[in-house]
Amino acid sequence: MNGDKKRTGARALVESLEKADVDMLFGYPGGQALDIFNCLTDAKFPFVLGRHEQGCVHMADGYARSTGKPGVCLVTSGPGATNTITGLATANIDGIPLVVITGQVPLALIGTDAFQEADTTGIARGVSKHCFLVQSADEIPETVAEAFYIATHGKPGPVVIDIPKNCQQGLTDAQYPERVSLRAYHPESAATTAQLHRMAKMVNEAKRPVIYAGGGVIASGAAKDVAALARRAGIPVATTLMGLGSFDERDPLSLRMAGMHGTPAANWAMNEADLIVALGVRFSDRVTGKISKYAPKAKIIHVDCDPAAIGKNVSAALGIVADVKDVLTTVLSRVKQAAHPEWIAKIDGWKSSHPVSWTQMHENVIMPQAVMESIDRATKGRAVVVTDVGQHQMWAAQHFRYSLPRHFLTSGGMGTMGFGIPAAIGAAFARPDHKTVAVCGDGGAQMTFEEVVVAVEHKLPVTFVIINNGCLGMVRQWQELFYGKNYSGSILTVKGRCGNERLEQDLDYDYLPDFVKLAQAHGAEAYRVIDPAKLDATIARAVKSKRTTLVEVIVEPRANVYPMIPAGRPVSEMVFK
Amino acid sequence: MDEQIHRLSCYVENKPGVLARIVGLITGRGYNIQTLNVGPTEDGTVSRMRIDVLGTDRVVEQIILQLRNQVNVIEVTSRRM
Repeated sequence: MNGDKKRTGARALVESLEKADVDMLFGYPGGQALDIFNCLTDAKFPFVLGRHEQGCVHMADGYARSTGKPGVCLVTSGPGATNTITGLATANIDGIPLVVITGQVPLALIGTDAFQEADTTGIARGVSKHCFLVQSADEIPETVAEAFYIATHGKPGPVVIDIPKNCQQGLTDAQYPERVSLRAYHPESAATTAQLHRMAKMVNEAKRPVIYAGGGVIASGAAKDVAALARRAGIPVATTLMGLGSFDERDPLSLRMAGMHGTPAANWAMNEADLIVALGVRFSDRVTGKISKYAPKAKIIHVDCDPAAIGKNVSAALGIVADVKDVLTTVLSRVKQAAHPEWIAKIDGWKSSHPVSWTQMHENVIMPQAVMESIDRATKGRAVVVTDVGQHQMWAAQHFRYSLPRHFLTSGGMGTMGFGIPAAIGAAFARPDHKTVAVCGDGGAQMTFEEVVVAVEHKLPVTFVIINNGCLGMVRQWQELFYGKNYSGSILTVKGRCGNERLEQDLDYDYLPDFVKLAQAHGAEAYRVIDPAKLDATIARAVKSKRTTLVEVIVEPRANVYPMIPAGRPVSEMVFK
Repeated sequence: MDEQIHRLSCYVENKPGVLARIVGLITGRGYNIQTLNVGPTEDGTVSRMRIDVLGTDRVVEQIILQLRNQVNVIEVTSRRM
């Protein structure tokens, strides 16, 4: 090609992102990304300016979780790049496709402790699926194509492209490749006929089967196929936290969520099952509890696209490395129509003796669980619910009834506080046809509250509900149950702090910050509810608003999440209050 | 299960960062690499790594699966020493 076809690496990057079908870019500028930012104003996709790089990555993550498309984020070198690490780890453990582009100091300055220099690929390696350090402008189009391929093939995950400034400025005529062919990475794998035959046989012979569906079902788009298998073979379905929405929780076959804070029916069913059909799960310790006592009577069929997930935590009688949807669509015709009336009756007995419930601790106080039910009613169960991390996350998992995939977005594996607000913004950008409600605690909300501005300035009708119990509730709960009620570092109100925290005890305020004023300062419409009688009306008003709204709900601070299987303990040690 | 020395032979693309990713996968789990040799193959774009690591069969099997998941790893085999 002749010289006048050449353009800068930065221009080639933006062109490549267009070719990769990017329809929104989240990010934050800085010195070593300026050449790229200079080209963004002509890009076919809009740019969303976050207020902190962690927020930008969580926005891209929320966008990816709600659409299945990779989220894309652009930041500068050094602190810009290091601020993405929490967001990368969050996406990595939950298998969320992201492409994160970081500026880097010019190649010639790498290793000289240059201004805003950090070894980004070195730092990001352990929290990402793959990292690229670009060596020349010519590499940029192909690297972008490979990054999108890697982010979305096999188990999805975040990919980092670190681009030194001189590569952004260098001239290249390299073109975006029509197809990607990686020499060493071939994650596609399919079930063998023998495996499908054996799977069908095990399902057909089972007397007490349970389907156990995880985030992989949602990633694979297999929710309808799970429902088809469950109905045909009469198998009840439990989900993981990440799998909420992969099976309609209003269906009589639903056991709802399993695990530490899962339903008794789900946990007891797995404990009694003779077959667990595990689909797109990784048998997290939050689900298995004491691993040697997990599902003692069950044979396990484990289907996952990640070969390293199979046999990692539990050993499977039949492990199938393949796409969940592919397996289910081909196995279905081999599975016999069945019902398991005795098994289902036993499970229905558990459901009615131990329903998902909660108790009002006092009059005149709002119980946090009631807030979830109120939101579920106000949105008719159709909202995209985004959570932060902690007690409210578990209450949101327990007290909404999820019926659709990609309607419950949460940081499952990493448990990243500060995820909720920005991820909800990303989800609201991605799905303007849906109402997005972020449920956050007062702790996590303070970690990334600055991003509320982004929702306001883009007129996103997101509702942020702050469940304010004046403490870091899950930490407080563990301290109450396992650390002799020594509430070290977990109380956010002035009253009730430990002596070593040295607060002035005569302050005339208790709850800080004032979330209503804080939201108003960010330009949002805001309400506070303390009176239980006003909860429903306020929530309904907020979710109907076309503006960005925030509702601060002052709730009972001593409410705990139950049921609970203490960490590392077997199902038999489930506690109910 | 007893810990034993396992010798991993990895064929990897000869690209920057590959060695660090592989070593990180092993050391990040708290396992010590006893011996590490890296060298070119006849095909200059492929390197061979020989890694001796002390671990149980189960852990080493996990490490191998994780290594095979890496984008630049072509092939991994192992044998007990």
